[in-house]
Amino acid sequence: MKKSILASLLGGALFFANAEAPTPEQLKILKEMGVSPADVIVEEGRDYYHNLKGSTGKTCASCHGQDGANLVGAYAKMPRYYTDIGKVADVDLRIKACLEKYVGVSAKGKKGRKYIVPLAGYVATLSNEMPINIELEHPEEKRLYEYGKELWYKRVGARDFSCAICHDVLAGKRIRLQKLGAPVRDKLYAHWPAYRISKDKLWTMEDRIRGCYKSFFLFDPKKGKFDFKKNWVKKPPFYMEEIIALELYMKKAANGAKIEVPGLLR
Amino acid sequence: MKKGFLVTLLISAGIIACQPASQAAKEESQKTVAKATAQNKAKKSSKEEKFRRALGAQDKWQQACSNPVQLAPEGIDVAQFIKEMKATIKYPADGKLVGDWKKGESLALLPKEYKALYGKKGGSKKGNCYACHCGDPRIIACGNIGPSLRGYGNKGIDPKLTYDRIYNSWSQVPCSTMFRFGYHGLLSPEEIADIVAYLHDPESPINK
Repeated sequence: MKKSILASLLGGALFFANAEAPTPEQLKILKEMGVSPADVIVEEGRDYYHNLKGSTGKTCASCHGQDGANLVGAYAKMPRYYTDIGKVADVDLRIKACLEKYVGVSAKGKKGRKYIVPLAGYVATLSNEMPINIELEHPEEKRLYEYGKELWYKRVGARDFSCAICHDVLAGKRIRLQKLGAPVRDKLYAHWPAYRISKDKLWTMEDRIRGCYKSFFLFDPKKGKFDFKKNWVKKPPFYMEEIIALELYMKKAANGAKIEVPGLLR
Repeated sequence: MKKGFLVTLLISAGIIACQPASQAAKEESQKTVAKATAQNKAKKSSKEEKFRRALGAQDKWQQACSNPVQLAPEGIDVAQFIKEMKATIKYPADGKLVGDWKKGESLALLPKEYKALYGKKGGSKKGNCYACHCGDPRIIACGNIGPSLRGYGNKGIDPKLTYDRIYNSWSQVPCSTMFRFGYHGLLSPEEIADIVAYLHDPESPINK
């Protein structure tokens, strides 16, 4: 409750200051004030990190050290290939796999997001001030990067959208009053995960990409043309390769940008 | 001694006899687990498959526009592109390309925009015009992706051109950002005619 009041107050203040850009200045102002609604969620993540126990009796800290000692800088290199799960994982999928494999906590579906999102926020903050550094060493990382690039430009769905049409070509213009950002050109990945004032939630890039795909009006062609009720394919399921591919593409583009998370958005 | 031997024999026979049964039970439970996992997998993969299928449902023109500039690529026959897109356009059965502007307005505005203007139910998610265009000066939260439509009806534009552009914008500007409303079935021919009226009718707030 307190959190949401704070959020709406801040939201109002920010709207008049600068409604659009997820700028570090906004973060700076809030940090000077000593408040950010996102900090509450990151704290929650820190708490899970040290105290969440499952069937194995281990916590995240059992392996990664007190206060995330061994995870400093890890987020700057993610998504990357992990041998223990045999695939490229973003921070969300990495945490999910850890929870299920090593902690022994079920992290499926929406329920799993309750743990994964705050943990992702916490793990990301451990790389604050460090430059993003995606190396694409593993062949799978290279493959997914190329796939992500392809998806970025892919015009598809009943609205003929692509990521690029809004976030490259039309970047800077407005949808209603909301300005379109340019994550690739402006290296916006440095501010993700981000707290969304309008939703009162911390969003990881997975949440962002899934939300974007909802606006594509993708449809299952097996059932004819697009229909709101019949065949609207709203969002890709969490942790799907397509999401991670796009993350890899955008984060590689942000190489060198200093991580400042959690970002703060409308 | 002999009795003890017999007991041992009986017990071991029992154990041997029991073993296949317990093993069968174990196998049975394993099967059930495997089946459940397979079902889970089938369900999950179907969600992913559905998404992949939707991603794969690209028409050849979308494919042509899927490049870094997001425009018709070099080397493509633009005249042919436009010809093919024009061929997709269908008109209302009664042949009227200019319908009812009030209905058109209700298609163009979101329910919340409509309510803010008229204090009653109306509007639709179908048109979503003000996401990209301005027009009715009372609607301030309008996008600037497309050109302003303020006074559109006073510019001497042929309503058929307006109709075609809404039905299939790519028949005029290949790879345009504007959705191909009729082509994709987002709006029916009659609904498009109503929006044409909303844009052209002198009584419409667009032109007042």
